[in-house]
Order: sequence, then structure tokens, then C-alpha cells
Amino acid sequence: MAVTSSPAIAGRPGLVSLVFQRKSLLIGLVVLGAITVFAVLAPLIAPYAPNRLSVVNRLQPPSGRWWFGTDEFGRDIFSRTIYAGQLSLLVGAAATLLAAAIGITLGLVAGFFRKADGIVARIIDAMMAFPDILLAISLVAALGPSLATVIVALGIVYAPRLARIVRASTLIIRELPYIEAARALGVPTWRIMLRHVLRNLVSPILVQATFIFAYAMLAEASLSFLGVGVSPEVPTWGTMIAAGRQYVGSADWMTLFPGIAIVLAVLSLQLVGDGLRDLLDPRLRKDL
Amino acid sequence: MTRYVIRRFLGMIAVMFTVVTIVFVIVRVAPGDPAAVMLGPDATAADIATLREKLGLDRPLILQYLYFLGQLLRGDLGQSIFLNMPVLSALAERAEPTFFLTLFSILIASAIALPVGILAAYKRGSLFDQVATTLAMLAASIPSFWLGLIFIQVFAVRFSWFPVSGYGGPDASFIVRLSHLILPATTLGIVSSALITRFTRASMLDVLNDDYVRTARSKGMGEFQVVMKHAFKNALIPVLTVIGLTAALLVSGAVVTETVFSLPGVGNLVVSAVLRRDYPVIQGALLVIAALYVLINFVIDMLYLVVDPRVRY
Amino acid sequence: MLRTLRYVGAAVAALTFGSMQPAEAQQRGGAATVATIGEPNTLDPMVSAGDLLGMITQHFYETLYTFDKNWELTPLLAEKLPEVSADGKVYTIPLRQGVTFHNSQPMTAKDVVASLKRWTDLASRGKLVAGNIQAIEAIDDNTVRLTLKEPFAALTALLAFNNSAAVVMPADHMENPIKEVIGTGPYRLKERKADQYIQLVRFDGYKPREGEPNGFGGARKQYLDEIRFVPVPDANTRVEGALAGQFDYADLLPVEAYDRLRGQSKTEPLMLESFGWAMFIMNNKQGMMTKLDLRKAVQAALNAEDMLAAAFGKPEFYSVDGAMYPKSYVWRTEVGTEAYNQGDADKAAALAKKAGYDGSPIRILTSRQYEFHYKMAQVAAEYLKAAGFKVDLQVVDWATLVQRRAEPAVWDIFITHSPFLPEPALIAPLPDTYPGWWASETKNKLLTAFNTEMDQKKRIAIWADIQKLIYEEVPFYKVGDFNALTAKSPRLQGFTASPWPYFWNASLKQ
Repeated sequence: MAVTSSPAIAGRPGLVSLVFQRKSLLIGLVVLGAITVFAVLAPLIAPYAPNRLSVVNRLQPPSGRWWFGTDEFGRDIFSRTIYAGQLSLLVGAAATLLAAAIGITLGLVAGFFRKADGIVARIIDAMMAFPDILLAISLVAALGPSLATVIVALGIVYAPRLARIVRASTLIIRELPYIEAARALGVPTWRIMLRHVLRNLVSPILVQATFIFAYAMLAEASLSFLGVGVSPEVPTWGTMIAAGRQYVGSADWMTLFPGIAIVLAVLSLQLVGDGLRDLLDPRLRKDL
Repeated sequence: MTRYVIRRFLGMIAVMFTVVTIVFVIVRVAPGDPAAVMLGPDATAADIATLREKLGLDRPLILQYLYFLGQLLRGDLGQSIFLNMPVLSALAERAEPTFFLTLFSILIASAIALPVGILAAYKRGSLFDQVATTLAMLAASIPSFWLGLIFIQVFAVRFSWFPVSGYGGPDASFIVRLSHLILPATTLGIVSSALITRFTRASMLDVLNDDYVRTARSKGMGEFQVVMKHAFKNALIPVLTVIGLTAALLVSGAVVTETVFSLPGVGNLVVSAVLRRDYPVIQGALLVIAALYVLINFVIDMLYLVVDPRVRY
Repeated sequence: MLRTLRYVGAAVAALTFGSMQPAEAQQRGGAATVATIGEPNTLDPMVSAGDLLGMITQHFYETLYTFDKNWELTPLLAEKLPEVSADGKVYTIPLRQGVTFHNSQPMTAKDVVASLKRWTDLASRGKLVAGNIQAIEAIDDNTVRLTLKEPFAALTALLAFNNSAAVVMPADHMENPIKEVIGTGPYRLKERKADQYIQLVRFDGYKPREGEPNGFGGARKQYLDEIRFVPVPDANTRVEGALAGQFDYADLLPVEAYDRLRGQSKTEPLMLESFGWAMFIMNNKQGMMTKLDLRKAVQAALNAEDMLAAAFGKPEFYSVDGAMYPKSYVWRTEVGTEAYNQGDADKAAALAKKAGYDGSPIRILTSRQYEFHYKMAQVAAEYLKAAGFKVDLQVVDWATLVQRRAEPAVWDIFITHSPFLPEPALIAPLPDTYPGWWASETKNKLLTAFNTEMDQKKRIAIWADIQKLIYEEVPFYKVGDFNALTAKSPRLQGFTASPWPYFWNASLKQ
């Protein structure tokens, strides 16, 4: 979002701040790592199968037997929460990769080819005019709701943000002397784009991708909550909260734990994104 | 300057035009005959044929597109299938809660973000700064619907301080209607305060290091005066930009928040429209909201010219 | 000869009406806010059969007949019960005089004839009798005559029903879709703001029937100044609104909320026992479910008890019962119900194999507007998967479901429910025309016999055969019976719980 493309210029951070930033990067990485490990190893860790119905044990509060309680079908919330992590992370990661693929391509093309720039830049501007959730909802509505369409929709929604950064940087880099030199030597354009331009862009792209990852996970949760995203029987943190909505006030654990999982995942991604920005690219450092 | 204004205006028109094109493409991308999709499975073959003709679907794509543009220029956003009324009227009917929800959220977000951001920048690296920065990041990580559910439970159900849902009955006065917005606006305000806090802090850091602030300080001005009069005044413009853009982004948050609080706003309408397969409404809402965003952007740019005499192009 | 057709309701000992509250002088005035499950897609009770629509529209559109508190037929816009000729084919219906529409025009036989014709053209229940109707005519300004080709025992019950309803509209205000809502009811439509409220106000020109209120019949009192139907699609929000005192009545709440609603100052729970039954309708017309063995496979796979438990929680909120009527009804029989509640994955898999199941997903259409449908769907999906089926759960809103189910190409199973109806002939999925399109020769023979038979005992016997056939041909799957939980504010007085709650006769304590 406006974060990286903002015009603010950094002051010189003090030592305390630097340590603090690194520490938060560390915390972010640890939390994110833990969530990923839980999700990936869910089949080994989960005490119950995530879709195992046990209607007699429905709506049991958290206890030694069900650490996070059970839902309205008697399914174990802890098991579902970590399994849901798989899909929530998958949606976030896949949407981010797709956004990166589209965004980087568009950005490079726009930055490099003057003729294309007018149109591509317009498209990027126009895409940014749609609020993310609204555009995602409409795309899912047009494509028909499923896991894949949610990923595609979010990928399209977030692509312009990367495209904008890539375009802006490409416009600067292409004027640098060594690129001019490479051109003069007859190196093919696509090669210059990949070898010289993209290499310079790895850091800002990585930083932005981390944030997109976080937004995409939040957006997926919102879509699922609204009932216009992933099919409700697929456990993601969003669908779990949507299901628990009926029981707020009588079985709060149904919304509490998946909610905490989302907050932790998104927060850790933001910490990592911030930390990466500091670490990888001092030129881009901002106190944002 | 006039040239800049004209150029910027033409740019805005071009973006609007692209927005319209994108919406056209999204609706055409929907699988199946758009007329059949729009009318739903209950439609008779005759109904579909009539709509096909009305939408000009039998003609080449480019002509369809021109026709679509023509309709838009006449202010015709089509007819809602479910509500059986023009899309524009349906949107207009729901503009009020969305407008005030957005406005209040911005006010609440700013009321939190500006003081916190300024203080965090002023005491950078302090415990306050660290806590504020972390909290801002935390706020940006909370799904607004989750926070909304918690707020309803605590403040509306347990304490009965605010209404649980809706926007008041037929005879609800303006004030009563607005009272329905306090809880949703607080939810949305908190979630969106994060971005403004971080931005305020960054902008303040930026100017606090500037020469004129140092000069003011060296002249023995009071700290409060230095911070507020010199630094904050100069940091204000980028901050206002972010607030303006956040307002537009808030529409996204409004989609979710309105649904949680059953507010009959534009966002709620879009979600219902998706569930009801009411494509003309989705199309109309997308167009209007994106157009507003482009317009707000343009207005902010123009305000720069008025507010900040340093901006010259 | 005069036949009163009392058996229609007398047969039904107990669709338990909540009892009236102790007689306390009811006050006039006030506006009652009623939280409903959603926004109806029309206000025309003929074109759609939803309970929500019936509940709302019965306040402004009235039928010739209705049901009293014992579910016996009672006149409403008709002066008295019809005179039926000895051969059971000619119904002469005298109309009440002095009834005026909301636009001050008097209601005449001309309006009634036009309305009944519209009903046979447009309403799903009206279409049931359309083919059997020889003539609908006005004898004079206050008498209508309906002539049938064959006797039809359920006719008066059909005329009395409040959804897909034979309501009376002015002859010059019955366009389709309806442009202006003008009825004869005690309340008239003042304003409808889609997704926000439907505002009804007292109709000052209303002349209630003589005597006391009696169920849906008798005098309809107009204590309330206004009734406001507010769509609140989220069930938990309805509970919270009730707890916070925002709603005077909240319809269809999740049963888990019962404990939360008890002992509260601003609301109290109302339990309506044997409210209705849930069903999975199979697509008998197109797609894989046209194969009997596959329908039997689904029947074998499903575990009704788990579906009910997931949907309704504690056992006191539901009963695992395959019979089409609960114990208190004369229609009660357990014939055929051994095929109910099997949950036998192996048997289902064998049947599926026999049917040549090709692994394509069963498309189950359901809605979250009725949360229990959706929960049943999820449990059913797990049981079907256990039997080797693939399942494609399509969750849409109710209005969309109603639209889509009309299209045989797009679904295999949809989920719905029904209250226990006073007359079995009214059960929605029985006729060929109902989405699901159960058309079999045996069924048609039995149903015709049932509908033309005027002798109660013989009808009961035929009904048992029909129930048996339902389990043999599996046109739909009955999941079981459930109670309904609603909530009302203690301020709301004189209110009677019912599957189609009405708010005339109710008042608000100031």
C-alpha cells in the first residue's frame, strides 16, 4: 500500500531503535516459523482428524481433552485451527506469488517500454481505485467461488501494488550508466531486465510481498467470513470464525482461537516485513 | 500551474475510463451468457432475449462496450434484479450510513493516530514509541469483523450501551441513526488507525530533523510549541494525504463492518448482491466506488496546490 | 347439502399453539419491531411460498378462509364455510359484506374471482388445482362459485393457507410483478426499504369479524399502531438484538441460545414444539438422482440423528422420527420408516456401485439463512463422503436457492423444511410440479385417490400407503422433527406463538 511508495524520507535511526527493529524481526520470524511448522506438521500434531464429527461432544469448552474446545459438530478446534493454518497460509502464499508474477511483469514492461507505459500505468492506477475486498468479492462472484478463484482474485487485487513499485524502480534503474552501457553492448532487453533490473529489485519486492502476504490472509478471512469466499466446509481461519459467529456469547472459543491465529500470523508477517526492510535495503529504510 | 491542473484532470478522465473498462471486462468474464447470469435461472428464454437485445449482447464486443459507455454517460447503471429498482437509487438509498461510517471512522482513527504518532516520533526509541509502534502493528493485524463481534458482545449485549445492529426504524431521527454508527465506526477506526499512526510518526521524524525546527528550538521556543507549531504543521500535508486515501480504503473495511453490524450501507448491499447473484448491483457499486476514489485522489492533489504554496509544477 | 369439512382441522389435535397470556387489559398503541430471517424477494404471497413471506403478507393480504387455534377451517373474507354440492364438485362461497381494500374500494365477488384466477395461474399451490377447475364465477356481488371437474378434498385447506396463498387483491391491482400492495388486512404497507424494514401501519378502514380472536380466525384486533419487520439474516444478531431489547419479537433462533435467553429482563424464549420437519429434496427430473438406486444409496448413507443433533443441539429440541407426522396427529403411521436413519456407508456404497455412480459430485444446494439447513448439509456431506460420494456443497442465500431449485440442470439435492401441515395434500414435495419433480405412476394414483376421497378413515389408510411409497421411491429424505425457538419481549402481550407468527391481537405494554 502507500507504505513503501510514500514520500517520507528516513531520519537516522538510533541504536536502540535498530536493536528494537532487529528484535522484532526475530520475534516475527520465530512466530511465523512456529505457525508454519504447526501447519505443515498438522497431521502429526493434531490430536484429532480435522473433519471428524462427534456430535455428542459438540460445543465442549476448552479442556485437557480438547485444548481449544469443540465446535458445533464436535470437531476439535485445536486440530482444525492448525489444519486451517495450512490453507490460510497456502491462500496467502499462492495469492502473493501470483500477485508477484503479474505485478513484476507489468511493472517491468511499463518501466522499460515507453509505449506500453501509458496504458499499463493507467491500468495500475485504475486497479488501485478499487477497494481490495470489494474487487476481490466481485472477481470471486464473476469467477464462481472456490479456493482457486479466491487465490486468483487476491492475486489480481494485489498485483498493482507490486507493479507500481517495480515500475517506479525500473524507471530509475534504466537510466543508470551501466544499464546504458549494457544496452550499447547489445545485450538483449529481456536479459537486462532479468539480470540487472530485477536483481536490484529483490529487496523491495520481498518486503512488499511480505505485506501482501499479510493482507491477502486478512482478505481471505474477510471473504470467508462474508460467505463469498472459500467454501464454508473448507477449514480456514476465516471460515472457522464465520461458523463460530453463531455461537459468540455461548461458545466464544470457536471464534477466539482462530481469531488469535490470524492476528499472530498477520502480525508476525508485518514484523518480518518491517525487519526485512531495514535489513535488506538500507536505502529504503523508513521508520514506518 | 494551469497546465498541471489540465494534465492532471485529463489523467483522471483516462483512469476513470480504464475503471469503466475493467468493470466491463469483469462482468463479461463471468462464465455463461451475461444476460442469463444477470436474470438468474428463473428467467424465461424471452426475458433473456429481451435483455440480450437491451444490453446489445448480439453485437460485436466493441459496440457492446460503446453502448455500455453510452448508458453510463446517461447516468444509467442498470436495474437491480432482486430489488427491482434502478441500481443508482439502490446505491443512493444506502449512501448515508456508509458515508457517515467512513467519516466517523476517519475521525476516530485520526483522534487516536495523530497524538500517538506525534508523541512516538518526539520520544523516538522510548518505551512509549516501542509500545505505540507495536500496538499500531497489532491493530493492523486484527480482522475488523472479529473485533466487531467482540465489541457487539461486550458493549451492546452485556452493557447495552449501543444498539446491536441496524440503522434505526422508520422514524429514527438523524441522531438516533448516527448512534447506531458509534460501535461500527470505533471498530473500523481502531483497525485503520494503524496506518495513520505509522505515517504520522514517520512524517514527524522527517520534519523534526529539519533545520527550521532546530532553529526554532535554538531560539528557545517551548517544546510543545516547537512540536505543534513548526513540526506538526509541516508534517500535516503528507498525513492528510494518507488520511484521505485511508478514507477511500475504508470502503473495504466498511464492506465487512456493515455486514457484522447489519448496517444497510453500500458495502452490505454489495455482499447481499453477491449472495443474490445480482450482477447489475455489483457492477454499479464497483463503478461508483472506484470513480469516487479517483475523484478523491484528484481533489487531494488539487488541495495540495491550495494548501501548500511550495508545491509548484 | 352442506358439508363443513371440519375434519381438515379436527384431525390435527395438536400443532401446539403457545397459550395466550393471562387476560390483562391490552393497550392500544406502539410499534412492534419484529426481527425476521431476511429480506423477502417479493411482497406477493401468490408467486412465492416462503414461510417468511407468508408471515409478513398475512398482515395485509387476506384469504377467504383460515385456520382457528385448533387448525380447523374458519372463514375470513368469506362469510361462512362453503356450501359443497353432494357430488363434492361445486363450492358456493358467500362473501363478507362491507369489507374494503386499503384504497377504500369495496371488495366484491369480481375481485375474488379475478384473484382466484390469478392464484391458479401463478401460485404453486394454485397450479395444483388449476387443471381440476371447471369454472370460477361470481353468482352475484357477494357470492362466488367454484366448480371442480373431480372432487378435491384439500381444496378448502389450500384456500386457507397463507403462503402460495389465495389472497384477495383488487381486480385492478394485480399486475405481476405487483406494483402496489393493496389488500384487505388489518395492517397496510406504509413503506418498504429493502434490507432495512417493512413498515406496516394500522388500516383504519378495517372491520374485524364479530366475536373473539380464535387462532388466525375470529376477530383480528388492531392494538398496535405499527408493525415493523426488520431483516436480520444473522441468527446470532437476532439473539443479541433480543437480549438487548432491540426487538419485540425475534424469529427462528439457534436453539443454543435458549439458555442465554432465559432469566433475562428484556426478552424471554418461546419454544414451539413439533414446529416442523426438515427434508432433503432429490432432483427426480434430471441428473444422477433420477436413478432410484442412487437415491436409495443416499437414503442409506445418511444418519438423521447426527444431522439433527448438529443442527439442533440438545435432544429436547428435536426428535429422530421418520414418520411424516408426529404422534399427536391422526395421520401418524410408522409404515416404511425402517429405511430412515440408517447411516450405513457400506450399504450406500454398494447401492451406488449398482447404480453405476461415476464419481461426479452430488450438488447439494443449501442456504445459511436457515442455519440448521446448512449444518445438516455439512453432516450429510461427511456421511456421503464416507460412503464414497463426492459432494459439492453450494451455499447461497435463500432467495437464490428458491430461484435455482426451479432449474433442474443445476442441482441434485436441496434442503428445506416445512411446518406440519393440517392437511397432508398440502405437503410441498408431493405434487409433480414442486422442484424435485417427483412424478411416478403409483404416486399419482395414490395421490388422486387421496385427494378425491372424502371419507376420513379411507384417507388415513391411503396416506399410510403414500408414506410407504415415499420410503420406497425416495423422492426426498425426511431428516426429522424439530422444535423452534423464538424470543419475545415481555412487553409484547396477547401474542400467540405459531409457525407463521402474526401481530394483530398483540399489544405493547407501555
